[in-house]
Amino acid sequence: MMRLVPAALKVIPFNAKGRVISRPHTAADDAHYWAEQAAGIAARQDIACFIRIYDHYAPRLLRYLLGLRVDAAQAEELVQESMLRLWRRAESFDPNRGSLSTWLFRIARNLYIDGRRREPAGRLVQEDVESLQIQEEDCNGGTVENQADHAGLARAIDALPAVQARLIRMSYLEAKSHSEIAAELEMPLGTVKSNLRRAFARLQAGLKGHS
Amino acid sequence: MNPRHHLDASTLIGYSAGALPTGFSAVVATHLSICSQCRARLLDADRIGGLLVGQHDGAALSDGARADILARIAAAEGPQVAQLQTAASSDRLDPGQLPAPLRPYFGATYSALQWRMIGPGIHHIRARNVADGHLMLLRIAPGRSVPMHSHGGNELTMVMQGAYDDSLGHFAAGDVADLDCDVEHQPVTSPGVPCVCVAATDLPLRFSGWLARTLQPLFKL
Repeated sequence: MMRLVPAALKVIPFNAKGRVISRPHTAADDAHYWAEQAAGIAARQDIACFIRIYDHYAPRLLRYLLGLRVDAAQAEELVQESMLRLWRRAESFDPNRGSLSTWLFRIARNLYIDGRRREPAGRLVQEDVESLQIQEEDCNGGTVENQADHAGLARAIDALPAVQARLIRMSYLEAKSHSEIAAELEMPLGTVKSNLRRAFARLQAGLKGHS
Repeated sequence: MNPRHHLDASTLIGYSAGALPTGFSAVVATHLSICSQCRARLLDADRIGGLLVGQHDGAALSDGARADILARIAAAEGPQVAQLQTAASSDRLDPGQLPAPLRPYFGATYSALQWRMIGPGIHHIRARNVADGHLMLLRIAPGRSVPMHSHGGNELTMVMQGAYDDSLGHFAAGDVADLDCDVEHQPVTSPGVPCVCVAATDLPLRFSGWLARTLQPLFKL
Protein backbone atom coordinates (compact mmCIF):
# COMPACT_ATOMS: atom_id res chain seq x y z
CA MET A 1 0.00 0.00 0.00
CA MET A 2 0.97 3.58 0.01
CA ARG A 3 4.19 4.64 1.61
CA LEU A 4 4.10 7.81 3.62
CA VAL A 5 6.55 10.43 2.55
CA PRO A 6 7.90 12.13 5.64
CA ALA A 7 9.87 14.72 3.70
CA ALA A 8 6.71 15.95 2.04
CA LEU A 9 5.28 16.86 5.40
CA LYS A 10 8.04 19.38 5.93
CA VAL A 11 6.63 21.62 3.25
CA ILE A 12 4.87 24.73 4.55
CA PRO A 13 1.40 23.74 5.70
CA PHE A 14 -1.31 24.91 3.40
CA ASN A 15 -3.14 26.90 6.06
CA ALA A 16 -0.02 28.50 7.45
CA LYS A 17 -0.98 31.87 6.01
CA GLY A 18 0.49 34.74 7.93
CA ARG A 19 2.75 32.57 10.00
CA VAL A 20 6.35 33.69 9.78
CA ILE A 21 8.35 31.13 7.89
CA SER A 22 11.45 30.78 9.99
CA ARG A 23 12.54 27.44 8.57
CA PRO A 24 15.80 27.86 6.69
CA HIS A 25 14.70 25.91 3.64
CA THR A 26 11.32 26.58 2.18
CA ALA A 27 10.63 25.13 -1.24
CA ALA A 28 11.50 28.48 -2.82
CA ASP A 29 14.73 28.89 -0.86
CA ASP A 30 15.70 25.37 -1.85
CA ALA A 31 15.20 26.11 -5.53
CA HIS A 32 17.40 29.19 -5.19
CA TYR A 33 20.09 27.34 -3.26
CA TRP A 34 20.33 24.52 -5.77
CA ALA A 35 20.33 26.90 -8.71
CA GLU A 36 23.39 28.58 -7.17
CA GLN A 37 25.19 25.26 -6.89
CA ALA A 38 24.46 24.49 -10.53
CA ALA A 39 25.69 27.95 -11.49
CA GLY A 40 28.95 27.20 -9.68
CA ILE A 41 29.50 24.16 -11.87
CA ALA A 42 28.73 26.08 -15.03
CA ALA A 43 30.82 29.12 -14.15
CA ARG A 44 33.95 27.57 -12.63
CA GLN A 45 33.68 23.80 -12.72
CA ASP A 46 33.25 23.90 -8.98
CA ILE A 47 33.55 20.36 -7.67
CA ALA A 48 32.30 21.32 -4.21
CA CYS A 49 29.05 22.58 -5.78
CA PHE A 50 28.78 19.37 -7.77
CA ILE A 51 29.28 17.24 -4.67
CA ARG A 52 26.58 19.17 -2.77
CA ILE A 53 24.12 18.48 -5.56
CA TYR A 54 25.27 14.90 -5.89
CA ASP A 55 24.99 14.12 -2.19
CA HIS A 56 21.49 15.56 -2.07
CA TYR A 57 19.98 14.44 -5.36
CA ALA A 58 21.76 11.21 -6.31
CA PRO A 59 20.07 9.22 -3.51
CA ARG A 60 16.70 10.75 -4.41
CA LEU A 61 17.07 9.90 -8.08
CA LEU A 62 18.12 6.40 -7.07
CA ARG A 63 15.02 6.03 -4.93
CA TYR A 64 12.88 7.20 -7.83
CA LEU A 65 14.48 4.72 -10.25
CA LEU A 66 14.16 1.86 -7.79
CA GLY A 67 10.46 2.77 -7.63
CA LEU A 68 10.39 2.10 -11.38
CA ARG A 69 11.62 -1.39 -10.54
CA VAL A 70 14.94 -0.91 -12.26
CA ASP A 71 17.43 -3.35 -10.76
CA ALA A 72 19.83 -1.80 -8.25
CA ALA A 73 23.00 -1.82 -10.34
CA GLN A 74 21.27 -0.43 -13.40
CA ALA A 75 19.48 2.21 -11.35
CA GLU A 76 22.75 3.39 -9.87
CA GLU A 77 24.32 3.54 -13.33
CA LEU A 78 21.42 5.75 -14.53
CA VAL A 79 21.97 8.02 -11.52
CA GLN A 80 25.68 8.33 -12.32
CA GLU A 81 24.92 9.02 -15.95
CA SER A 82 22.40 11.71 -14.97
CA MET A 83 24.94 13.35 -12.68
CA LEU A 84 27.64 13.22 -15.33
CA ARG A 85 25.22 15.03 -17.60
CA LEU A 86 24.75 17.68 -14.93
CA TRP A 87 28.52 18.15 -14.81
CA ARG A 88 28.91 18.41 -18.55
CA ARG A 89 25.81 20.37 -19.35
CA ALA A 90 25.28 22.59 -16.31
CA GLU A 91 25.39 25.61 -18.60
CA SER A 92 22.20 24.58 -20.31
CA PHE A 93 20.35 24.72 -17.00
CA ASP A 94 18.63 28.09 -16.69
CA PRO A 95 17.72 28.79 -13.06
CA ASN A 96 15.07 31.30 -14.06
CA ARG A 97 13.15 28.78 -16.06
CA GLY A 98 12.81 25.73 -13.87
CA SER A 99 14.07 24.14 -10.69
CA LEU A 100 17.17 21.96 -10.63
CA SER A 101 15.01 19.24 -9.13
CA THR A 102 12.76 19.23 -12.22
CA TRP A 103 15.75 19.36 -14.55
CA LEU A 104 17.44 16.37 -12.91
CA PHE A 105 14.18 14.45 -12.73
CA ARG A 106 13.68 14.93 -16.47
CA ILE A 107 17.21 13.81 -17.27
CA ALA A 108 16.91 10.66 -15.16
CA ARG A 109 13.45 9.83 -16.51
CA ASN A 110 14.51 10.44 -20.12
CA LEU A 111 17.62 8.30 -19.71
CA TYR A 112 15.46 5.55 -18.23
CA ILE A 113 12.91 5.65 -21.08
CA ASP A 114 15.71 5.97 -23.60
CA GLY A 115 17.55 2.95 -22.19
CA ARG A 116 14.43 0.85 -22.13
CA ARG A 117 13.68 1.71 -25.73
CA ARG A 118 17.20 0.87 -26.78
CA GLU A 119 17.45 -2.36 -24.85
CA PRO A 120 15.56 -4.77 -27.13
CA ALA A 121 17.68 -3.86 -30.14
CA GLY A 122 20.81 -3.68 -28.00
CA ARG A 123 22.24 -0.62 -29.66
CA LEU A 124 22.27 3.10 -29.23
CA VAL A 125 19.92 4.84 -31.58
CA GLN A 126 20.98 8.34 -32.47
CA GLU A 127 17.39 9.53 -32.67
CA ASP A 128 16.93 8.72 -29.01
CA VAL A 129 19.73 11.05 -28.10
CA GLU A 130 18.27 13.76 -30.28
CA SER A 131 14.81 13.44 -28.85
CA LEU A 132 16.27 13.57 -25.37
CA GLN A 133 18.02 16.78 -26.22
CA ILE A 134 14.92 18.30 -27.72
CA GLN A 135 13.05 17.56 -24.55
CA GLU A 136 15.75 19.10 -22.42
CA GLU A 137 15.77 22.12 -24.64
CA ASP A 138 12.04 22.38 -24.21
CA CYS A 139 12.46 22.17 -20.49
CA ASN A 140 14.35 25.41 -20.57
CA GLY A 141 12.34 26.98 -23.31
CA GLY A 142 8.87 26.36 -21.94
CA THR A 143 6.83 28.42 -19.60
CA VAL A 144 8.80 30.20 -16.93
CA GLU A 145 8.75 28.55 -13.55
CA ASN A 146 9.86 31.00 -10.94
CA GLN A 147 10.40 30.24 -7.30
CA ALA A 148 6.92 31.37 -6.33
CA ASP A 149 5.52 28.78 -8.75
CA HIS A 150 7.61 26.15 -7.05
CA ALA A 151 6.19 27.08 -3.65
CA GLY A 152 2.69 27.30 -5.13
CA LEU A 153 3.02 23.77 -6.45
CA ALA A 154 4.25 22.50 -3.10
CA ARG A 155 1.21 24.05 -1.42
CA ALA A 156 -1.12 22.68 -4.09
CA ILE A 157 0.24 19.15 -3.53
CA ASP A 158 -0.38 19.48 0.20
CA ALA A 159 -3.88 20.76 -0.43
CA LEU A 160 -4.95 17.90 -2.72
CA PRO A 161 -7.86 15.76 -1.51
CA ALA A 162 -6.47 12.60 0.10
CA VAL A 163 -7.40 10.26 -2.75
CA GLN A 164 -5.87 12.48 -5.39
CA ALA A 165 -2.68 13.01 -3.37
CA ARG A 166 -2.36 9.28 -2.95
CA LEU A 167 -2.81 8.58 -6.65
CA ILE A 168 -0.27 11.25 -7.61
CA ARG A 169 2.28 9.85 -5.16
CA MET A 170 1.68 6.28 -6.28
CA SER A 171 2.17 7.42 -9.87
CA TYR A 172 5.45 9.22 -9.30
CA LEU A 173 7.10 7.55 -6.34
CA GLU A 174 6.07 3.95 -6.91
CA ALA A 175 5.69 4.36 -10.67
CA LYS A 176 2.50 2.34 -10.61
CA SER A 177 0.58 2.00 -13.84
CA HIS A 178 -3.02 3.14 -13.70
CA SER A 179 -4.20 -0.45 -13.94
CA GLU A 180 -1.97 -1.45 -11.02
CA ILE A 181 -3.26 1.45 -8.94
CA ALA A 182 -6.82 0.51 -9.83
CA ALA A 183 -6.22 -3.09 -8.75
CA GLU A 184 -4.40 -2.15 -5.56
CA LEU A 185 -7.00 0.35 -4.42
CA GLU A 186 -9.91 -1.70 -5.77
CA MET A 187 -11.01 1.32 -7.73
CA PRO A 188 -12.36 1.29 -11.29
CA LEU A 189 -9.70 2.28 -13.85
CA GLY A 190 -11.91 5.12 -15.07
CA THR A 191 -12.08 6.54 -11.53
CA VAL A 192 -8.29 6.39 -11.17
CA LYS A 193 -7.90 8.33 -14.40
CA SER A 194 -10.54 10.94 -13.65
CA ASN A 195 -9.01 11.57 -10.21
CA LEU A 196 -5.58 11.98 -11.78
CA ARG A 197 -7.05 14.43 -14.29
CA ARG A 198 -8.58 16.49 -11.50
CA ALA A 199 -5.36 16.38 -9.49
CA PHE A 200 -3.36 17.53 -12.49
CA ALA A 201 -5.72 20.46 -13.09
CA ARG A 202 -5.38 21.55 -9.45
CA LEU A 203 -1.60 21.27 -9.51
CA GLN A 204 -1.37 23.19 -12.77
CA ALA A 205 -3.40 25.93 -11.12
CA GLY A 206 -0.94 25.83 -8.20
CA LEU A 207 1.97 26.21 -10.63
CA LYS A 208 0.35 29.29 -12.09
CA GLY A 209 -0.18 30.77 -8.66
CA HIS A 210 -3.94 30.25 -8.48
CA SER A 211 -3.96 27.73 -5.68
CA MET B 1 1.43 21.13 -36.20
CA ASN B 2 -1.67 21.97 -34.25
CA PRO B 3 -3.31 18.71 -33.35
CA ARG B 4 -6.89 18.90 -32.14
CA HIS B 5 -6.94 15.73 -30.06
CA HIS B 6 -4.37 15.55 -27.30
CA LEU B 7 -3.00 13.23 -24.63
CA ASP B 8 -5.11 12.66 -21.56
CA ALA B 9 -3.65 14.18 -18.37
CA SER B 10 -3.47 10.73 -16.77
CA THR B 11 -1.39 9.50 -19.71
CA LEU B 12 0.95 12.48 -19.43
CA ILE B 13 1.41 11.79 -15.73
CA GLY B 14 2.19 8.16 -16.50
CA TYR B 15 4.76 9.19 -19.11
CA SER B 16 6.22 11.84 -16.82
CA ALA B 17 6.64 9.27 -14.06
CA GLY B 18 8.24 6.77 -16.44
CA ALA B 19 5.47 4.31 -15.62
CA LEU B 20 3.93 3.73 -19.05
CA PRO B 21 4.45 0.45 -20.88
CA THR B 22 7.01 0.66 -23.70
CA GLY B 23 4.50 0.87 -26.55
CA PHE B 24 2.50 3.66 -24.92
CA SER B 25 5.70 5.50 -24.19
CA ALA B 26 6.61 5.36 -27.89
CA VAL B 27 3.21 6.72 -29.00
CA VAL B 28 3.34 9.48 -26.38
CA ALA B 29 6.88 10.45 -27.47
CA THR B 30 5.68 10.51 -31.08
CA HIS B 31 2.87 12.91 -30.26
CA LEU B 32 5.17 15.05 -28.10
CA SER B 33 7.58 15.34 -31.03
CA ILE B 34 4.95 17.29 -32.99
CA CYS B 35 2.78 18.91 -30.29
CA SER B 36 4.16 21.91 -28.41
CA GLN B 37 0.97 22.14 -26.35
CA CYS B 38 1.45 18.67 -24.89
CA ARG B 39 5.17 19.33 -24.36
CA ALA B 40 4.23 22.31 -22.20
CA ARG B 41 1.77 20.12 -20.26
CA LEU B 42 4.47 17.47 -19.85
CA LEU B 43 6.74 20.10 -18.35
CA ASP B 44 4.05 20.83 -15.76
CA ALA B 45 3.80 17.12 -15.00
CA ASP B 46 7.59 16.92 -14.74
CA ARG B 47 7.58 19.77 -12.24
CA ILE B 48 5.26 17.73 -10.07
CA GLY B 49 7.61 14.76 -10.42
CA GLY B 50 10.67 16.89 -9.77
CA LEU B 51 9.17 18.31 -6.62
CA LEU B 52 7.96 14.95 -5.27
CA VAL B 53 11.23 13.18 -6.00
CA GLY B 54 13.14 16.10 -4.46
CA GLN B 55 11.02 15.98 -1.29
CA HIS B 56 11.22 12.22 -0.98
CA ASP B 57 13.84 10.51 1.15
CA GLY B 58 16.69 9.08 -0.85
CA ALA B 59 18.10 5.57 -1.09
CA ALA B 60 21.75 4.89 -0.31
CA LEU B 61 24.07 4.45 -3.24
CA SER B 62 26.77 1.79 -3.11
CA ASP B 63 29.97 2.60 -1.24
CA GLY B 64 32.07 3.29 -4.29
CA ALA B 65 29.54 5.51 -6.07
CA ARG B 66 30.91 8.86 -4.94
CA ALA B 67 34.49 7.97 -5.84
CA ASP B 68 33.24 6.62 -9.14
CA ILE B 69 31.43 9.82 -10.12
CA LEU B 70 34.42 11.94 -9.08
CA ALA B 71 36.66 9.84 -11.31
CA ARG B 72 34.21 10.19 -14.15
CA ILE B 73 33.93 13.94 -13.95
CA ALA B 74 37.73 14.19 -13.69
CA ALA B 75 37.95 12.20 -16.91
CA ALA B 76 35.18 14.15 -18.58
CA GLU B 77 36.07 17.14 -20.66
CA GLY B 78 34.39 19.40 -18.16
CA PRO B 79 31.32 21.51 -18.61
CA GLN B 80 30.51 22.00 -22.24
CA VAL B 81 28.29 24.36 -24.06
CA ALA B 82 25.34 22.21 -24.91
CA GLN B 83 25.16 21.43 -28.57
CA LEU B 84 21.44 21.34 -28.97
CA GLN B 85 20.22 19.83 -32.13
CA THR B 86 17.36 21.60 -33.74
CA ALA B 87 17.09 19.69 -36.98
CA ALA B 88 14.88 16.96 -35.58
CA SER B 89 12.64 19.42 -33.79
CA SER B 90 10.59 20.25 -36.84
CA ASP B 91 7.27 19.90 -35.03
CA ARG B 92 5.69 18.27 -38.04
CA LEU B 93 5.27 14.82 -39.49
CA ASP B 94 7.55 13.96 -42.38
CA PRO B 95 5.76 12.24 -45.28
CA GLY B 96 8.73 9.94 -45.95
CA GLN B 97 10.39 9.40 -42.57
CA LEU B 98 8.85 7.82 -39.53
CA PRO B 99 8.81 9.97 -36.40
CA ALA B 100 12.08 9.45 -34.51
CA PRO B 101 10.54 7.73 -31.44
CA LEU B 102 9.14 4.95 -33.68
CA ARG B 103 12.30 4.20 -35.62
CA PRO B 104 13.74 1.73 -33.09
CA TYR B 105 10.64 -0.38 -33.63
CA PHE B 106 9.77 0.02 -37.29
CA GLY B 107 12.79 1.47 -39.08
CA ALA B 108 13.33 4.91 -40.56
CA THR B 109 11.17 5.19 -43.67
CA TYR B 110 7.61 4.41 -44.66
CA SER B 111 8.77 2.99 -47.99
CA ALA B 112 10.78 0.23 -46.28
CA LEU B 113 7.85 -0.98 -44.14
CA GLN B 114 6.80 -4.54 -44.75
CA TRP B 115 3.07 -4.47 -44.35
CA ARG B 116 1.06 -7.61 -43.74
CA MET B 117 -2.51 -7.75 -44.91
CA ILE B 118 -4.87 -8.79 -42.16
CA GLY B 119 -8.15 -8.10 -43.92
CA PRO B 120 -9.57 -6.32 -46.95
CA GLY B 121 -7.90 -2.92 -47.08
CA ILE B 122 -6.22 -3.36 -43.68
CA HIS B 123 -2.51 -3.91 -43.20
CA HIS B 124 -0.46 -3.97 -40.08
CA ILE B 125 3.04 -4.36 -38.68
CA ARG B 126 3.61 -5.38 -35.14
CA ALA B 127 6.71 -4.28 -33.24
CA ARG B 128 8.49 -7.43 -32.18
CA ASN B 129 10.69 -5.97 -29.51
CA VAL B 130 7.95 -4.84 -27.15
CA ALA B 131 7.60 -7.15 -24.18
CA ASP B 132 4.92 -5.34 -22.19
CA GLY B 133 1.78 -4.90 -24.28
CA HIS B 134 1.56 -4.32 -28.00
CA LEU B 135 2.77 -1.65 -30.39
CA MET B 136 1.69 -1.72 -34.02
CA LEU B 137 1.34 0.28 -37.18
CA LEU B 138 -1.96 0.06 -39.02
CA ARG B 139 -2.68 1.11 -42.56
CA ILE B 140 -6.31 1.26 -43.53
CA ALA B 141 -7.49 1.99 -47.06
CA PRO B 142 -9.47 5.18 -47.62
CA GLY B 143 -13.19 5.12 -46.94
CA ARG B 144 -13.19 1.89 -44.98
CA SER B 145 -14.64 1.03 -41.64
CA VAL B 146 -12.64 -0.80 -39.02
CA PRO B 147 -14.61 -3.40 -37.09
CA MET B 148 -16.43 -2.24 -34.00
CA HIS B 149 -14.21 -2.91 -31.04
CA SER B 150 -13.76 -2.11 -27.39
CA HIS B 151 -10.74 -2.48 -25.18
CA GLY B 152 -10.09 -4.64 -22.17
CA GLY B 153 -7.48 -2.13 -21.05
CA ASN B 154 -6.13 1.05 -22.57
CA GLU B 155 -5.49 1.99 -26.15
CA LEU B 156 -3.50 4.92 -27.44
CA THR B 157 -3.52 5.68 -31.16
CA MET B 158 -1.94 8.45 -33.16
CA VAL B 159 -2.75 9.23 -36.78
CA MET B 160 0.34 9.82 -38.90
CA GLN B 161 -1.16 9.99 -42.38
CA GLY B 162 -4.72 10.28 -43.65
CA ALA B 163 -7.63 10.62 -41.25
CA TYR B 164 -10.62 8.85 -39.76
CA ASP B 165 -13.91 9.66 -38.08
CA ASP B 166 -15.67 7.90 -35.26
CA SER B 167 -18.20 8.81 -32.60
CA LEU B 168 -15.48 10.79 -30.80
CA GLY B 169 -14.77 13.10 -33.73
CA HIS B 170 -12.46 13.62 -36.67
CA PHE B 171 -8.87 12.44 -36.23
CA ALA B 172 -6.26 13.76 -38.64
CA ALA B 173 -2.46 13.53 -38.76
CA GLY B 174 -0.96 14.36 -35.37
CA ASP B 175 -4.14 13.67 -33.40
CA VAL B 176 -4.18 11.08 -30.66
CA ALA B 177 -7.11 8.99 -29.51
CA ASP B 178 -6.45 8.33 -25.84
CA LEU B 179 -9.18 5.88 -25.01
CA ASP B 180 -10.55 4.50 -21.78
CA CYS B 181 -11.24 0.83 -21.46
CA ASP B 182 -15.00 1.12 -21.81
CA VAL B 183 -15.12 3.01 -25.10
CA GLU B 184 -16.51 1.04 -28.01
CA HIS B 185 -15.83 2.65 -31.34
CA GLN B 186 -15.91 2.02 -35.07
CA PRO B 187 -13.51 4.25 -36.96
CA VAL B 188 -14.23 5.04 -40.64
CA THR B 189 -11.26 6.27 -42.66
CA SER B 190 -11.58 9.42 -44.76
CA PRO B 191 -11.56 9.24 -48.55
CA GLY B 192 -8.38 10.04 -50.45
CA VAL B 193 -5.26 8.55 -48.89
CA PRO B 194 -4.84 5.52 -46.63
CA CYS B 195 -4.91 6.18 -42.92
CA VAL B 196 -1.65 5.20 -41.23
CA CYS B 197 -1.74 5.03 -37.43
CA VAL B 198 0.50 3.86 -34.64
CA ALA B 199 -1.33 2.17 -31.80
CA ALA B 200 -0.40 0.81 -28.39
CA THR B 201 -2.59 -1.48 -26.31
CA ASP B 202 -1.97 -3.08 -22.96
CA LEU B 203 -4.58 -5.77 -23.21
CA PRO B 204 -6.01 -7.58 -26.22
CA LEU B 205 -8.68 -5.73 -28.16
CA ARG B 206 -12.09 -7.32 -28.29
CA PHE B 207 -13.55 -7.27 -31.75
CA SER B 208 -17.22 -7.82 -32.27
CA GLY B 209 -17.39 -7.09 -35.99
CA TRP B 210 -17.03 -8.93 -39.25
CA LEU B 211 -13.25 -9.20 -39.19
CA ALA B 212 -13.18 -10.63 -35.74
CA ARG B 213 -11.98 -14.09 -36.69
CA THR B 214 -9.18 -12.70 -38.83
CA LEU B 215 -8.00 -10.11 -36.37
CA GLN B 216 -8.35 -11.87 -33.08
CA PRO B 217 -5.35 -14.20 -33.45
CA LEU B 218 -3.16 -11.16 -34.08
CA PHE B 219 -4.10 -9.74 -30.76
CA LYS B 220 -3.60 -13.07 -29.03
CA LEU B 221 -7.24 -13.55 -28.05
